[in-house]
Amino acid sequence: MMELLQALEGSAFSIWVREAPTVWAYPTVLTLHTAGLAVLVGVNAAFDVRLLGFGRQIPLAEMERFFPAMWVGFWLNAITGAMLFAIDPITKGTTTIFMIKLAFIAAGVILIVMLRRAVYGRGREAATVTSAARAFAVLSLLVWVGAIATGRLMAYV
Amino acid sequence: MTLLEEFLVAVMAATSLDESLVLFLKATALSQWVVSTPWVWPLCETLHFIGLTLVVGIIGPLDIRLLGFMKNVPVAALKTLVPWAVAGFVINLVTGVIFLAAAPEQYIRNLSWWFKVLFLMIAGVNVLLFETTQRSRMLAMGPGEDTPAAFKLIGGVSLVSWGMVLYWGRMLPFLGNAF
Repeated sequence: MMELLQALEGSAFSIWVREAPTVWAYPTVLTLHTAGLAVLVGVNAAFDVRLLGFGRQIPLAEMERFFPAMWVGFWLNAITGAMLFAIDPITKGTTTIFMIKLAFIAAGVILIVMLRRAVYGRGREAATVTSAARAFAVLSLLVWVGAIATGRLMAYV
Repeated sequence: MTLLEEFLVAVMAATSLDESLVLFLKATALSQWVVSTPWVWPLCETLHFIGLTLVVGIIGPLDIRLLGFMKNVPVAALKTLVPWAVAGFVINLVTGVIFLAAAPEQYIRNLSWWFKVLFLMIAGVNVLLFETTQRSRMLAMGPGEDTPAAFKLIGGVSLVSWGMVLYWGRMLPFLGNAF
């Protein structure tokens, strides 16, 4: 495992993203990672608070269109996240806090799937807010706070 | 960029604005508390990211509606979630002031920070224009209606200016001198 992480850290791609003297390398990847986070978590949070009773005038059926936006944010961050891992694999691959962050993200993504199923499982027009959906919404908000906090703490390890 | 940055530094030096402002902020009790308490900065960073997430997640869909998409959602309905975005903005204003007080020279002498402030002001004026000139028109709009040109313009300016706030914020350490 350590050999693999070392090989990745020494790869040409890793060195370019880490050390290229241009804003199009590391700074741009990091900015896209922040933008993707804002879209994924922000749109998910907007959906969560709707389930928790805010903005009830927003037609629930129409809010199913929020989900593709969440997936755009997710894939943007999966790609930029893989790049950020590639430039610093030895530290990240051996840090507990990074593993906790990944666990939070996995839980957040599973909750997106469960939220959609709970609300739109019987079709878009039959969309309802069940108590299970509300519980998923609360969990989703908590899990994303955890992911953001552990992500920020990565800068201090 | 470098030329602009040199210009900024020269203006600051000539007016001695940065000297006095940096010294003033560093002398505040808030500044000294943040500098001497190691957990405050990472906590505020986390809160700052949660705040930005709320702004993007609530204002983004509203801007997209103003641009004319998602026509079946009334604009007024999306606006009922705006207090969440305001909460996010207030969190970021407070944590932003904490960052500024703790390390003023990182921001005041940083061109990226001035760009960020500029786009914050554009976003703010844009909101004020919407609220003062388009409010009654917005409340009168039913679901399924296309938005007028003024709504599209305001939605577009909002989306771009918040995007720029995020971009220049992230660029603070790279196109400037922060951290």
